[in-house]
Parts: sequence; C-alpha cells; structure tokens
Amino acid sequence: MWRKAGPRSGPAVSDRGGGARGSVSPGRSLARSEAWFAAWMVAPSLLLIALIVFLPLAYSVWLSFAEVDLLSQSGPVLDIFGMRIPFFRFVGLDNYARVMSDPEYWRALGRTVYFVALFVIEATVLGLAMALVLDANFRGRGVMRAMLLIPWSLSRIAVGILWLGMLDADFGAINGVLYRLGAIDSYIAFFSDGFTALNVLIVVYVWNQAPFAAILFLAGLQSISPDLHAAAAVDGAGYWRRLWHVTLPSLRPMMFLVLVLATVNGFLMLDLIYVMTSGGPGNDTTTVTWLGYRTAFSFFRFGPGTAILFTLTLICVVLTVVYHRFVLAKFRAE
Amino acid sequence: MSAIPIHGRSRRWASATMIYGLAAVVALWLVGPFVWLFITSISEQRDLLMRPMPLVPPHPSLDNYAKILGLVDFHARHQTAQILPSMANSIIVSVVVTAINVVVGSAAGYAYARFRHRLMSATLYAILFTRMLPVVVLMPALFLIMRQMGFQNTLSGLILAYCSFTFPFTIWIMKSYFETLPRELEESGMIDGCTRFQVFYRIILPISGPGLVAAGAFTFVLCWNEFLVAQVLNSKQGTGTLPVTIAGMVGQANIDYSVIAASGFLSAIPAVLLALVFQRYMVQGLTAGSVKG
Repeated sequence: MWRKAGPRSGPAVSDRGGGARGSVSPGRSLARSEAWFAAWMVAPSLLLIALIVFLPLAYSVWLSFAEVDLLSQSGPVLDIFGMRIPFFRFVGLDNYARVMSDPEYWRALGRTVYFVALFVIEATVLGLAMALVLDANFRGRGVMRAMLLIPWSLSRIAVGILWLGMLDADFGAINGVLYRLGAIDSYIAFFSDGFTALNVLIVVYVWNQAPFAAILFLAGLQSISPDLHAAAAVDGAGYWRRLWHVTLPSLRPMMFLVLVLATVNGFLMLDLIYVMTSGGPGNDTTTVTWLGYRTAFSFFRFGPGTAILFTLTLICVVLTVVYHRFVLAKFRAE
Repeated sequence: MSAIPIHGRSRRWASATMIYGLAAVVALWLVGPFVWLFITSISEQRDLLMRPMPLVPPHPSLDNYAKILGLVDFHARHQTAQILPSMANSIIVSVVVTAINVVVGSAAGYAYARFRHRLMSATLYAILFTRMLPVVVLMPALFLIMRQMGFQNTLSGLILAYCSFTFPFTIWIMKSYFETLPRELEESGMIDGCTRFQVFYRIILPISGPGLVAAGAFTFVLCWNEFLVAQVLNSKQGTGTLPVTIAGMVGQANIDYSVIAASGFLSAIPAVLLALVFQRYMVQGLTAGSVKG
C-alpha cells in the first residue's frame, strides 16, 4: 500500500534455486545459503515474539483454567532459567462456568455489543464523510489532511482528559458554549446518567478513531481512476449518483478493512473508560474488557479475569480469520 | 468541463462555498477540542468556572506548566512531582523500543519481502495473528512472568513487553516497503560480489529511509501513548510512564482541572509533532500497517 509502488519484478530470488529441489543443480548451494541468510534475518524477531507473545499467551490460557492464588502460589511449579513459574491449581472450566453464570457478565456483554455497533457505524460513516470532504479539490487540503493525524496521535489518556474538559458539568466547554448561546439554562451533567455516559464514551472514541478510518478511505479514494468519474459525469451522473455507483463500489475492500478494524478496536477499548468513567456510574459503562481488567487487576482474581478476557479474544480471533480470508486475499488479487 | 451550463459560474461558486463550509466544520471537529485543551491549560480554574464562560482566557499564563514542571510550589506539589521522572521513563522506553524495532524488525521485514518458503509463510501468518491479538489478554500472564523474573516495575520489563505489540507492525510496514524496491538493485549488487548481507546493509538500507522513518515514528508514537501495559506492570511510583502518572492525577479532588490539562497537553506535544512532521510517512505506515489501537 505504499504509494511509491515500484515494479514487482520476477519471482523471489530463492525460488530459482529452491524450485530445483532434489535435482542436482548449480543453484542449489546458493539456494541453501540464501535460506540460511533468511533464517538468520528472521530468527531474532521470531525468538522475541515467541518469548513475549506466544509464551505469555499459552500461560494466559492456562491461568484461565486455574485457581490463581497470588499469595500462596500453590500447585506445581516450573523451574526454568532460575525463575519459578507457578502453575497453581487446575480447576478445568470452573472459571468460565462462574463467569457465564454471572449476570453482570451478560449485562456487560450487552453494553459492549451496543458500544461496538454504534461505534463501528459512527466511525465508518464519519470517517467516510471526512475522507470525501478531504478528497475534494480546495485550498488548504494538505493542512486539513495533516489535521487528521491530531486526534489519532493523542494518547487515549490525553483524549480522555481533553473530553472531560469539554463535557464537565461545572467548566465544560460544550456547556459553556450552549449556555452562552442561550440553548440551556443550567449546565448538563453528561456523566451522571449511565446511558448518556456510555453514548458519550462512544462519541469520544469516534473522535479519536474516525480520522484513522478517514486516512484509509482517502488512500482508497486516491486509487480510483479519475477517468471513471469523468466517464460517469459525461453520462450525466450527478455527485450523489457517482458516489453511489462509482466511488462506493471501488471502496469496498477498504470498507471491509475499516469495519473489521473498528470492530476489533471497539471490543478492546479500555483506557478511555479508565480515565473518563471507571465503568460507572454504577456499572453502566462497564464493558467486557473493563470487567475482565477490573476482575484481574483490581480484585486480583486472575482466573476469572483471564477467562473473561478470553471470551473477548475468541471474538477477535474469529474476526482476524475473516479479515485474513477476505481482505488480504482481495488485496493480493488486485 | 465544457459541459458546464450557462449558469455554471454561480453553481460553481455555490459548490465551492459548500466545500469550504464543510472543510471548516471538519477542521473545527478535528482541532477544536485540542485547541481548547491548550486554552484551559493556560487558564485559571476560577475563570473556567465563570458564567458565562469566557472563550478567551482573561488571565492567560503559563502558571499551570510551571506547577507541573516543579518550578513553583503549590499544594499538590507531591502529586505532580512524578511528571518529570515519568517523562524521562517514557522517553527511554519509547526510544529503546523504537531502536530495537527498527534494527531487528527491518531485518525480518526484508527477509519476508524477498524469500518464499513454507516456513516463512507459516511464521508470517503467526506474526499476522499476533497483530490482531488483544494485548490485554496477555497481561495477567506477563504480570506474573515479569514478577517472577524480577522485571516488574523496571524499564527493561516494559521495553520487552512493548516489543510484543510493536514488532508485528514494524515487520509488516518494512515488508511492504521493501516489496516496492526493484529486485534489480540486489541482483546488480550480487554480481558486483557483495554477500547477501552486504547487499541488505550497503544497498537496500541506505535507500530505505521512508520505510524506516514510517516504522520508527509509528513505533515511537505507539509506545509514547501506551497506557494499559505500563499501568499493570509498572504501578510502583517512580517507575511509571507519563500516561500512567497523568491518569493517576485525574479525579484527585485537590488538583485543578487546568493543571491536569497542562500535563495532558505537555504529554501530547511529542507525538503530535512527530505525526505532523512525518505526516506523509505516518499515513503510509498507517495504511500499510492497518493498525488496531
């Protein structure tokens, strides 16, 4: 997706030697040295990823089936490289059963689904709208495109702080402006009602993430041949008809990518909740991620906490498979 | 353009007005809140509480910045005293992770761009898988492992943990960059008697600036903004990063919002500047990396 697309020339260098596997050819020793070179180049990365992603992942899976007691560290212990990895007591599916029988889990899942659905729709529509505006020909377009990066490059903690200042019931800018315009007589408390707070979180997350969707859509828009639009215009198609019949169909692969990424990001959102609502008022903004995080790291119940987080991971893994099957296959085909 | 009817001029004027109008709305939406963060950071809290609220601060000053940087004494001094040390932690972690990523990740990215093999595809698929894996699900395990290794509350532990979510992106971004380079470059290098590694080191890397900048700037911003992992692993005072320290100040009754706004704005400056300076590369990295988070 680099704009500076050079010629994709020829098959891989190693294919030429490696293809002649078994037969004796002068290219064979060259191919073997090439293979060793490739192996050495990827080895450090793969070793690191195995150690810091796959090892913890496996251990996390185990923790979700165990009764984790951080103080006693009961059960078998693995002694490796001078450190002791405790395995605790295996309890099978107990953690999952406990999570599934907790009504709070299902309520959180309901909120999460609402959050994700609205977030995905808003981020996609707003991202597409911004991309269409920024794709138009006007002066200052370059500056505007740079502006897209501002909400995205802020940490979620800064985003949360910023919007707390915009929405506060005593000094919020939105209240201040509405009051000045005479639209309200008293300041609105955006975070005292649970449902309002959840919707506010969605809007704030959309503010942070929609620019990313817009950047992806812009990349897609720029790859549409202007001839298509010109031809449609000659045929008398107005802006909206061109949008519907030319632009949107060409954006389909990008649309799919945006939808999948937004869905995964929606499920995983956590830091905004941490800084803006802490899951409250009551539990009204507690999503599954937040519930899992709190269970593990506020109450130090690692077993159920990990189990909660794995129910979420399952959703993400399914989406990833979908993502790879459809999106990447499509990009390769192009 | 010849198809424009006679009244085309007024129509064109109308559509131009609409485009500039829409662009203004988008600009206000994107930048307005960030500008307001700056305005509150140079305001006094009591001015923010005035009704009607002044849109231009009547007593602008950098007092809040002086407070969080420890230049003046105030009642919540001990709480903001962590800002400078945690900023140092953030810089160290982000720089080291970026350096590791650029060196180790670009080598892997190159190999994945140029060599086809069953094992290569399998491992690349594994890397892609980690890209979509929620970091939060690794945290209970990472927490226990780091604790057992004595890496809890250390910068080394954080650096290691940060590589887990940055590596897949760097490899992917660099791979897609190297794929745009013509193979003839390497072939001519090989004919000139360079070894495979010399070709990579002497010919490919020197012309890979855009890819390296994209991957580097990208990694730096991800690390600089990261909150969750640092919050879990480095919760001890003095070992946290900037987002952790600032998040800890939110909701404290004795700290004015304007002071928190100043810390928020200060913490945002490096990432925003980096994103704007390397705008083109960031956008390319973003589209190539297709990130979560």
